[in-house]
Amino acid sequence: MESSTSSPVCNLGILMNFNDDTLQEICQSFSGFCAAVKSLLSDSGDFSVRQDFVTHVQTLCKHGDRLRSLARDYFLRSLEEAFEKNGASRFWRHFEDCSKIEEDLEKIDEDEIQRVLCKALEEICLVKEDQEKWLLIFVHALQSYMENVPDGKYNFEAEKDYLLSKYQLIVSSILMASLPRHFPEILRWYFKGRLEELSTIMGGELNEENECQDRDEMDLDEKSKCRIGEIDIDECYRQDKFSENNKLVKNIGKVVRDLRNLGFTSMTEDAYASAIFLLLKDKVHNLAGDDYRSSVLDSIKGWIQAVPLQFLNALLAYLGDSTSFDQHSSALKSPLASQPSSCYPGTSTPSQGLVKWKLRLEYFAYETLQDLRIAKLFEIIVDYPESSPAIEDLKQCLEYTGQHSKLVESFISALKYRLLTAGASTNDILHQYVSTIKALRTIDPAGIFLEAVGEPIRDYLRGRKDTTKCIVTMLTDGTSGNPNGSGNNGDSLLEELNRDEENQENVGLDDAFNTDDKQAWIDAQRWEPDPVEADPTKGSQNRRKVDILGMIVSIIGSKDQFVNEYRVVLAEKLLDKSDYDIDSEIRTLELLKIRFGESSMQKCEIMLNDLIDSKRTNANIKATINKASQIDAESVETGISLDNLNATIISSNFWPPIQDEALILPEPVDHLLSDYARRFHEVKTPRKLLWKKNLGTVKLELQFEDKAMQFTVGPVHAAIIMQFQEQTSWTSKNLAAATGIPVDVLNRRISFWISKGVLTESLGTDPSDHVFTLVEGMVDASKNSGNSGNSEELLAGDEEAERSVASVEDQLRKEMMVYEKFIMGMLTNFGSMALDRIHNTLKMFCIADPPYDKSLQQLQSFLSGLVSEEKLELRDGMYFLKK
Amino acid sequence: MEVRPHQTVDNSAATPQRRAATAASKQPVPASNAVDTTSVTQRLQKELMALMMSGGDLGVSAFPEGESIFTWIGTIEGGKGTMYEDLSYKLSLRFPLDYPFKPPQVKFETTCFHPNVDQFGNICLDILQDKWSSAYDCRSILLSIQSLLGEPNPESPLNTYAAALWTNKKEDYRKMVREQYFGGKAFES
Repeated sequence: MESSTSSPVCNLGILMNFNDDTLQEICQSFSGFCAAVKSLLSDSGDFSVRQDFVTHVQTLCKHGDRLRSLARDYFLRSLEEAFEKNGASRFWRHFEDCSKIEEDLEKIDEDEIQRVLCKALEEICLVKEDQEKWLLIFVHALQSYMENVPDGKYNFEAEKDYLLSKYQLIVSSILMASLPRHFPEILRWYFKGRLEELSTIMGGELNEENECQDRDEMDLDEKSKCRIGEIDIDECYRQDKFSENNKLVKNIGKVVRDLRNLGFTSMTEDAYASAIFLLLKDKVHNLAGDDYRSSVLDSIKGWIQAVPLQFLNALLAYLGDSTSFDQHSSALKSPLASQPSSCYPGTSTPSQGLVKWKLRLEYFAYETLQDLRIAKLFEIIVDYPESSPAIEDLKQCLEYTGQHSKLVESFISALKYRLLTAGASTNDILHQYVSTIKALRTIDPAGIFLEAVGEPIRDYLRGRKDTTKCIVTMLTDGTSGNPNGSGNNGDSLLEELNRDEENQENVGLDDAFNTDDKQAWIDAQRWEPDPVEADPTKGSQNRRKVDILGMIVSIIGSKDQFVNEYRVVLAEKLLDKSDYDIDSEIRTLELLKIRFGESSMQKCEIMLNDLIDSKRTNANIKATINKASQIDAESVETGISLDNLNATIISSNFWPPIQDEALILPEPVDHLLSDYARRFHEVKTPRKLLWKKNLGTVKLELQFEDKAMQFTVGPVHAAIIMQFQEQTSWTSKNLAAATGIPVDVLNRRISFWISKGVLTESLGTDPSDHVFTLVEGMVDASKNSGNSGNSEELLAGDEEAERSVASVEDQLRKEMMVYEKFIMGMLTNFGSMALDRIHNTLKMFCIADPPYDKSLQQLQSFLSGLVSEEKLELRDGMYFLKK
Repeated sequence: MEVRPHQTVDNSAATPQRRAATAASKQPVPASNAVDTTSVTQRLQKELMALMMSGGDLGVSAFPEGESIFTWIGTIEGGKGTMYEDLSYKLSLRFPLDYPFKPPQVKFETTCFHPNVDQFGNICLDILQDKWSSAYDCRSILLSIQSLLGEPNPESPLNTYAAALWTNKKEDYRKMVREQYFGGKAFES
């Protein structure tokens, strides 16, 4: 036996060393070997050939390692050729029909795919098995030879492994090399189909499970006998399901194993992974849907646990990889032990692969749900607080995925597209903003993302005129306004104001008592770093607490503006009151004082005090009459006495400017008022009372021949109707003169009485002059018909919102009037001016009461307003007077 | 005459005695009205405000020309029913530092054919000379000039030709007014 094994010489070189006889023998046995191999591989190889084959191999082996490896190489080569011919090409031929799969996704028959795939796999595996068998025979031949050689320390196992892996490599490389492009797609479809099938079964089971649990809970008190029976049935049923599932999983497992066998490991894994993810995505979309009132995260997790993980568990167990033997045997024992509540059905410790899969799937589910929710965040927030479960879900998802910036971006664009448009009312925007703050506060308590999201809303709101007013109304209307009214009390900021107060109190407590180290330690433990997205230029201190009020008020810009607007709202409210009940206003004011400080609310406080004082003064003045117990002859005549009069006495310096409207009151009322004023002067010298005759409310009763009607109206309306006491018909011009109201205003106001059926309007001789006549008989075909007598009508507010107080806008408009006059004056003298020059000139010379303080942009928009009113013209950047 | 406020403040601080004396000699003025440019500025500003708030409808207007509030440009529209209807005349107003104790210098900048206006635009109007009173203001000056347009005083003419036409040939006068007005306009542009 030559010991040239270690020297790498070429085969022919080895042959040189043999004598002729040996050579002869070698040649013979080699050709015999070749023939045997050929016949082995070409047909099903009978036993005699096999015998021959073994003999030839052994003969060749006798002549040294070189020849042995020569034989081996030849054998492998032949196997490769045979496999290419018999296995691969036939295998792919099965799928030729499916090559259209990419073009025509509609017409895919999943069952067909399944059938074809199974059949093809079966066939090729058979071929492969056969060949492996020959390979083993070859190895066995080697083995039996080696065992006869006494000093053979030949590592048989290693040789076998080597050959098998070599063969495996050959197979997979052949298949890969000839892989048709649509094969992965076929695999994907196959797995999709299988998984859906499985999911339906499992899903049904899951529901079954839940129902069963529900039933169990319900039946808890009932007799256990009944339950035992039921459970038996369930068990039985589950058994059925189990076997069904098991069969399905086994089928899939077999396919997967076959595919792996052929070297498609990664492709297979890709295919079923993508199928699982697709299914999961569908499931999430199904579950999440458009309902934001329930949390779906748990059910998604439950589903992951119940369907894909069960499947993977069973699959991995079936394939028997990455689990230790006892684990997977136990998994096999009960892979579907139908206990979705327990984490890993049947196994105490999950395999590592399964854990990885679980994490992957959950991350994917979180991400999918998060994307879904973020896309619909706008709607979700519209529904807030009903949609808080969805917000909670989103919060968990974001904690997992950390893609907060995605949220910010998508939400801002949704806001810009849907909310911040001219069509949305300021109130809606504000409510949405408040909801946004509340909702995002849940997701992100530190308020980092809120800052980013809120910015565009705030900017937009600043551009709106009525923002301040809406905010003030939101902030102060709540308890007093409508306890049962329009219903959106939840949006009121008053509660926030209350909460704010509580917080403030707590802060106070903190300062007083919690200065000890323990508290400091607790605080320190509670500290959390800012999210990475936080803007480092802004201190982290001031954003610790999301302060809704602060964010809302910051829209207005300055505290003063807010207070000013509040003063107007308050003034209107107070002037509308007929009693002196101001408890709720006092409370609101106290809350506001906490927030904005005493000094800034001082004027408002004086306004409230005016009301309280009015009540007292009123009582005092009436007391003077009673003391004298003199009954005015006149008041008996007219039926009006001071008892009927309640005055609200205001310190006009502290009130916002009050609208003045010309009005001549009827003589008796006027007399009454001046009498009241005189008495006031007596009580409160040196102060004098000036009546604002157009303000207030009048309760009056109109008596007709057959009935009486009661009204609560403004003084203007009262003055008008009182004129009809003496004279039943007036022309509008005369009536205007008598009441001191301009004709156009009169025509507007008198329509109230016409609508009530008290007056009628007809055209007079002069077409511009209308004639109003009292309807004496009160035939009353209008809405009051059927009313027997008294009909109390509350004037809910005139057509065009009569306001007793000049609003902030009015004040602003007045300011702008001044500028307009200046601009007109300038242009009269200079002809044309550019924007800059107008701006500078205004700055220099318009030293009106509020000095000119507008920005160039504000001026420009004001000027373009004038242009659109056709007062100015703009040509080549120069403004002209419109001639 | 370009006067910047901060320069004049210095001036007035240096010579308060003299000013107070002249003021006192002219007419009795309350001490608070003592002349220094800040109060002049304030007064002019007030006049401007009043003029702006009321002016437009009357057909008179004026506005500070540049950065100084002492030089104004005025605009007067000819009164309805006069020879000057539909014409608008530009004027310049220069307020002295001791305004309102001295009248402003007022001149027509647009060529104006009028018995009491010379070819350089100087105006012969009593309240701008000897009849001046500090009670007048910019607005009253402009209104006086506006009414002077409609009612010339041919007794003391600066433009005798105009005075002659005014008394004898009204139609020729109207023609001349328009001719000069539009001629001036053309010349200006």
